[in-house]
Amino acid sequence: MRVYVVDNGGQWTHREWRVLKYLDVDTRIIPNNTPFDQLDVDALVLSGGSPHVADEGEKMGRNGEYLDRADFPILGICAGFHFMTNHFGGRTEAAGKPEFGKATLIVDEEDEIFRGLPHEFVVWQSHNDEVTKVPDNFQVLAHTKSCPVEAIKVKDRPFFGLQFHPEVENTEHGSEIFQNFLRVVEEWHR
Amino acid sequence: MFKPEKFVEEQIEEMRAKIKGRAIIACSGGVDSTVAAVLVSRAIGDQLLTVYVNNGFMRKGETEAVGKMFDSLGINYRLIDASDEFFDALKGVTDPETKRKIIGEKFIRVFERTAKEYGAEYLVQGTIAPDWIESGDGVRDVIKSHHNVGGLPKDFNMTLVEPMRDLYKDEVRKVARYLNVEVAERQPFPGPALAIRVLGEPTREAVNIVREACAIVEEEIEKAAKEGKMALPWQYFAVLLPCQSVGVQGDNRAYGRTIAVRSVESIDGMSASYSKIPHEVLEHISVRITNEMKSDVNRVVYDITHKPPATVEWE
Repeated sequence: MRVYVVDNGGQWTHREWRVLKYLDVDTRIIPNNTPFDQLDVDALVLSGGSPHVADEGEKMGRNGEYLDRADFPILGICAGFHFMTNHFGGRTEAAGKPEFGKATLIVDEEDEIFRGLPHEFVVWQSHNDEVTKVPDNFQVLAHTKSCPVEAIKVKDRPFFGLQFHPEVENTEHGSEIFQNFLRVVEEWHR
Repeated sequence: MFKPEKFVEEQIEEMRAKIKGRAIIACSGGVDSTVAAVLVSRAIGDQLLTVYVNNGFMRKGETEAVGKMFDSLGINYRLIDASDEFFDALKGVTDPETKRKIIGEKFIRVFERTAKEYGAEYLVQGTIAPDWIESGDGVRDVIKSHHNVGGLPKDFNMTLVEPMRDLYKDEVRKVARYLNVEVAERQPFPGPALAIRVLGEPTREAVNIVREACAIVEEEIEKAAKEGKMALPWQYFAVLLPCQSVGVQGDNRAYGRTIAVRSVESIDGMSASYSKIPHEVLEHISVRITNEMKSDVNRVVYDITHKPPATVEWE
């Protein structure tokens, strides 16, 4: 299975690559201006990064093209998730209560991405912005005490978005979340 | 999963192909650079000279210990004392990024001189993933300039060789254990060393204070871990803060400095939580520092911040 990580300039982009590599996935980190036609992948991970996507969309390169043209699953993390939200008509803004470090994730809807995981677990955060308007075609799957939208699935596409960071060691069940995503990828291409 | 034997095998082959001639390796005696030294010396043997630079900011007894360790590894090495050069360059410098860049450049100048004497065109470094990630690039913000990446001067023109760029510390430790390198379990220590554990200008006096405090923190925590009172944290040290506070010592007013104790748990250094050190151990540390260092320090605080939002080191 080939899953590339689109580099939006995150501190943990390389961690996403490492988690996928440890799961024996054929993976690479690619610049976010890589043309879609050059991708020959089964899925993409849109990494986090420092851009505030609402007003620095240009720093997100071709993420929009990937979302428009992908006929495969995409997992957006943090800024990658924010971009996905704005792209589908939602809104992200400076968070009322930004989160850094430890937080408790409360899973409202297990769906495929949290399959087999506890209802509550510790996740690691690092975000200044948050989703304030959820697009119509998103379903919210999880929240924390400070942030109402921590995880979503796109209802009509095989896309998922996460506000927290499953790729860092301090997040519990992080590797399992990636495994769940890879299962989605596997089923999608079956 | 990560397979150290496969990594070593691949890298030895790659290093042999890449390094045509003599090379030096910048080695602090820490896990990363020592593993790189052993790895590359397996590949190219005595074409490699291991160079340790005492920048004046090393921990208590460190330079002597590193020399002994190199002896036991049986590698070709040289210890260089450049402390005057580093202290001079940092006179009046207080900004953390400026400190890091000056230190990075000074290191390179010493390596360039040594390489010239030795006839080497290649500089090997034990750079690992967090070093270049946090140093920033076209798309990534500069969190801190690691001396070996963001601190490289623009006019540097040796060929850089970095066999471990894609590894994190936990993977480097696996390679270290596989290669039987005794420093495998040593706690991380930053290249700019104690210069970035003194907030403000790293004068000789300030560095001496933080060196002593670091030694006490290390001794007490290692002792507590040995006695089973706690697990050995990922990293544990002291930081000298640029503020003074009022105290009372033997009925005399004191107005001394402040030491922050920092200790964190991590796997790879990219995220970390502060250590839940038993209060009994913190108390020992506090009493020892404020008694043994009474003329300098009259207050000790404990840093309870995770990464993010903090980083492990304070600068």
